[in-house]
Parts: sequence; structure tokens; C-alpha cells
Amino acid sequence: MAPLAFGLAYAGFLALALAMDRHHRDLLGGVPSRMGRLLFRGGGWMLLGLSIAPCCALWGPSFGAIAWCGLLTLAAFTLVSLTTYAPRAALLAAALLPALGLATWFRLS
Amino acid sequence: MKHGFRQCMAWLHTWAGLIPGWILFAVFLTGTAAYYRGEISAWTRPDLRMEDNGPEAAMLGLRELQRIAPDATGWLIGLPTSSDPLLRLYWRPPGERRFRDGILDPATGRVAEAGRTMGGEFFYRFHFELHMPPIWGRWLVGLCAMSMLVAIISGIITHRRIFADFFTFRPGKAGHRSWLDAHNLLAVLALPYHLMITYTGLLTLMLMYMPWGMQLAYKGDQQAFIAEALSIAPPPRPARQAAPLTDLAPLVAEALRRWPETGVRRIGISFPGDANATIVLGRGDRHELAIRRRELVFSGTTGELRLATGNDAPAVQTVGVAYGLHFARFELPFLHVLFFLSGLAGTAMVGTGLVMWVAKRAPKATERRHFGLRLVETLNLGTIFGLPIAMLGFFWANRLLPGMLDHRPDWEIRIFFALWLGAYLHAALRPGRRGWAEQAGIAALLGLLLPAVNAATTRHHLGVALPAGDWLMAGMDLGFLGFGLAFALAARRLWQGADRPVATRQGGHLRERGI
Repeated sequence: MAPLAFGLAYAGFLALALAMDRHHRDLLGGVPSRMGRLLFRGGGWMLLGLSIAPCCALWGPSFGAIAWCGLLTLAAFTLVSLTTYAPRAALLAAALLPALGLATWFRLS
Repeated sequence: MKHGFRQCMAWLHTWAGLIPGWILFAVFLTGTAAYYRGEISAWTRPDLRMEDNGPEAAMLGLRELQRIAPDATGWLIGLPTSSDPLLRLYWRPPGERRFRDGILDPATGRVAEAGRTMGGEFFYRFHFELHMPPIWGRWLVGLCAMSMLVAIISGIITHRRIFADFFTFRPGKAGHRSWLDAHNLLAVLALPYHLMITYTGLLTLMLMYMPWGMQLAYKGDQQAFIAEALSIAPPPRPARQAAPLTDLAPLVAEALRRWPETGVRRIGISFPGDANATIVLGRGDRHELAIRRRELVFSGTTGELRLATGNDAPAVQTVGVAYGLHFARFELPFLHVLFFLSGLAGTAMVGTGLVMWVAKRAPKATERRHFGLRLVETLNLGTIFGLPIAMLGFFWANRLLPGMLDHRPDWEIRIFFALWLGAYLHAALRPGRRGWAEQAGIAALLGLLLPAVNAATTRHHLGVALPAGDWLMAGMDLGFLGFGLAFALAARRLWQGADRPVATRQGGHLRERGI
């Protein structure tokens, strides 16, 4: 379930980045509309919030919260590295990572 | 006086970060290594690993202590765990205050004589004592940690665009701009960790830094405080009458019955062979976040249970959680990796901050570099690349020094400091980018070749460890390879741009170190 948490956190951060003009321009081109910005922002926060659930399910509330902080950090670093050096992979990863996380979860359970 | 609150904070951030910066870098890096203290100790003594931590292991340790130190005033047995798989023995000879120690060789049942080393303990102790007399080292590290806390908070205030620049990294930008991006990213993205680790680090030594509350509440009776708050039973007084020691095995079995999950971690025996001997069994602390002592105190002659210590008061819980967060002893390998990576991020944050101080002040090519700048540059290179060189050299020394060398642990440490000093000298003689490239190259060679040295000197190399699923040995070797590779990339990059002055160097080598 750790990959699922990581994937959700990554997707969440990517959505938050896409709500910002500079990153939106670099990744998708153009600036987001008002509606788009709200959607990206809302979706991003929602995904970040969701990503704590697998952590707590896997490690319990106390270790889960710690692991969540660490995973958020790791996801944000991954996002920054990808957007800087491989912007196309950065977009692709947002879809792939949560899917991969779900797949490993189902395989395990 | 600087004008305005933010400028004031920026000034504070610069100097609170720079002056203790080199010590902080070393504290961060050795502390990060100390997350794998048990694994490092096991890697440095790979043939002594054992898994059994039940009554038989305890008996094995006890028999050896009875053989080598029958008249000791105290014995201590540290039982193995999966991340620290060594059986440690400590004994205090009569008339001495300090314990001596050794590691039991499971093959012979004797304390191992060959290949003595401090192993992971060296990095762990260096992390808060800097290999100085403990009191001095701890005060110095404490002052630096306090300064770190000041630097973190003033840094948050100084950083104008925490959210706007949250994901911003522009490696191609000239001057100190990309260093600033890297520094900001490393600081902001791992901020919860930085705050937590600095604050809890200060808490671990709070009784030394601020003993007044305790002194007042317990009227100076430190023993009483320790007994109550830390659940450590006061030591007995010897009766000076001989009496045989009771059988240890049923006591361990009793402890295992009470603590089925955590097991026994320590067995302490005070005044063995005396009528007032006591046996104290300490609980393992690797399965919950809060580190809290739990001990069972038995009579050493009758084996009767006298006391079960343990304190669940809120203050004890709080400190226990703080300790747990700082030491990260829990056995959750994935969480360990996250802590390790966060520690590297902290190290790199300090490193980028130091480099940025120089990059910001770099004079134009025609201008002379003044002494302060040269000094900071030298200390930067000698610390940021010199310390990893020294640490890798420590592992080389561990494999290459003769097994029966007198004072072998001291020689390993001498080699560590000799390499580090050499790095500072080199940095002083080879200023600029060329010097950085050369040291990165040396670190790369040391890291990349270490698995080969391991293969040549032990039977636990990657070719054996990987197929056997021996993740401890394989993980250490792969880690060395990873660091070697990162340094190799950094070296190549630094070498290519070596003609340009150091200040315009592009960001990157610290980010490549596994973060």
C-alpha cells in the first residue's frame, strides 16, 4: 500500500503544480482557466489528503502519520526532479504511479 | 543594525547557518549514517552475526562473562535484533568505573579477538560528541543544534515565496540562483523532518543543557529522578558475601512471556556472585514509537521478581515519542529508508547553504579573493566532500587493517581523521572547481571499489549476499555503489566545467546523492 500512498501524493502535488501558472506553462502550455485552477487545486489537496489513508492502514495511526510526512517529501522531490529533467514523464507518472499502487494493493490483498 | 524585520532575519539566517555550518554538516551526515548503526556494525563484523535472542543466547553470553570476568562488579549482555544482529558483552572489572566490551563470536562462544572495530558506534557517537571528550562534544553539538533551530525559523521567515516557489528548480540559472533553488527545495520539502530532528535532538540531551527543573523538583537527587522518570532501578549495594548466581534461563523465559512481541534487549547483572546481586531484564524497544524503558528486576540469588519498572505518565510518553522520532529504532525498514533519505536532504540542505554563501560573494574573475572567502571555500570542500571520503575510508580501513592489530579500533579512527585532514589540505591547495572535481573523483573511487574490497576480504560479497537474500550485507554494498555512482556523476560534471570559476557552477551534485 506504500506505492499507492506515494502515487496519490505524487498526483496531488502535480495537480497543485498545474494550478500554478509557471508550472502549467512548462508542463501543458498556456495558463489554466479560473475553473481549471480551482479544479487542480481542489483535486490536489484532495489527493494529498487521501494519501494518508493507505499509510494509516498499513502502519497504524502513529507510524502512519510519520510515514505520510516522509512520503509527501519523497513525492514532492520526485515531482520536482521529473518536471525539471523529464517533464513528459512527470505527467505520465501521475497516472501510472497511483495505478501501479492500486495494482500492487490488489495483488497483495 | 540591519533595517526591517525580514533583512534582520536574513542576516540572522546567514550567520546562524554559516558559523556552525560545518559542524552541522558533519552532525547531519554521521547522524544519517547512524540510522543504520546496527547494520554498519554488522557489516564491519560480518562473521559475528547471530539471530538467536532467546534464553540460549543469553546463556551463551553469561557463560563467556563468567569465564573472562568472574570477579567483575557488573555484567551487561546486549541481545541481538534483526537490524543489530550482534551479541554484545560488557563487564566492569573491580576498581574500574568504565565498562569494557566485546562481541561474542557465535562460532566459538568466546569474545571475538580478531577484527575489533567500533563499527556503527563510531558514527553514532561522533554524531553528538564529535569524538571529543563527551561533555565538550555534547555542549558544542547542542549549541550548533540550537543555532540550527534559529536558522530554520529565521529561514522560514526570510523565504518570501514558500508556496509560489514550492516546486521551483532552475538548474541552468547563473550565479547563486540555482543554489538558492536547491537550498530552498531541500529545506521546504523536508521541513517537517528538519524541525522534528533538530528539536528532538536537543530534547535528547535536555537534562544536560537545562537541568534546573529536575534539580528543583527532586532537590538535587538525580538518582531519584532517574529511577522515577527513566524507570531505571537504583543499583544495589554489595553485601560482600559470596552467593551463587541463580539460573538465568527461567528469568528470560518469564520476561518473554510478559513481552512476547518485543522480547528482551538487555540483561544487566550487578555484583554477580554477591549475596545482593540483582538481575535486570530490559525490554526491547523496536515495536512502538515511544521509547520507554521497561525493566524486570530479579534477585540475583533466588530469582524472585522484585520490581517491574515502567512509567506511563504523559510527560514520560511525550519524551519517549520525541526520543523515538529522533532515534528511529523501530523495525520498519521502509520508514527507515524515509528517515535516511530525509537525513540526506538535511545534510544537502546544510551543504547547499554553505556553498551558496560563497557563490553569493564570489568576486569577478579579475578581483582578488579575500581571506574569509578562501577560508570558507576550503572548509566547504574539505567538509562537504572530505567527510564522505573519510567515512568511506573508515570502511576501507575496516576491511584492510590486519585483524589482530593492536588498538585496531583506534587505527580505523586515525585513518578516518587523516583522510579528513588530507581533504582540508587538498582543498586549501587546490581552490576552485578543479579541487571539487578531484575530491568527488576520490569519493567515487572509494565508494565504487568498496564492494570489490569486501569481496576480496570476506565471504559476504554481493555475489553471495544477493542470491542468499542477505539484505543487510547486500544493502550496505549497494549503498556504497550508489554513493560512489553519485560522486562519479558529480565528478564528471564538475570536471567538464572546471575552467569556469566555481561561483557559476550549476546545481546538482547534492541532488544526485540519492534525494
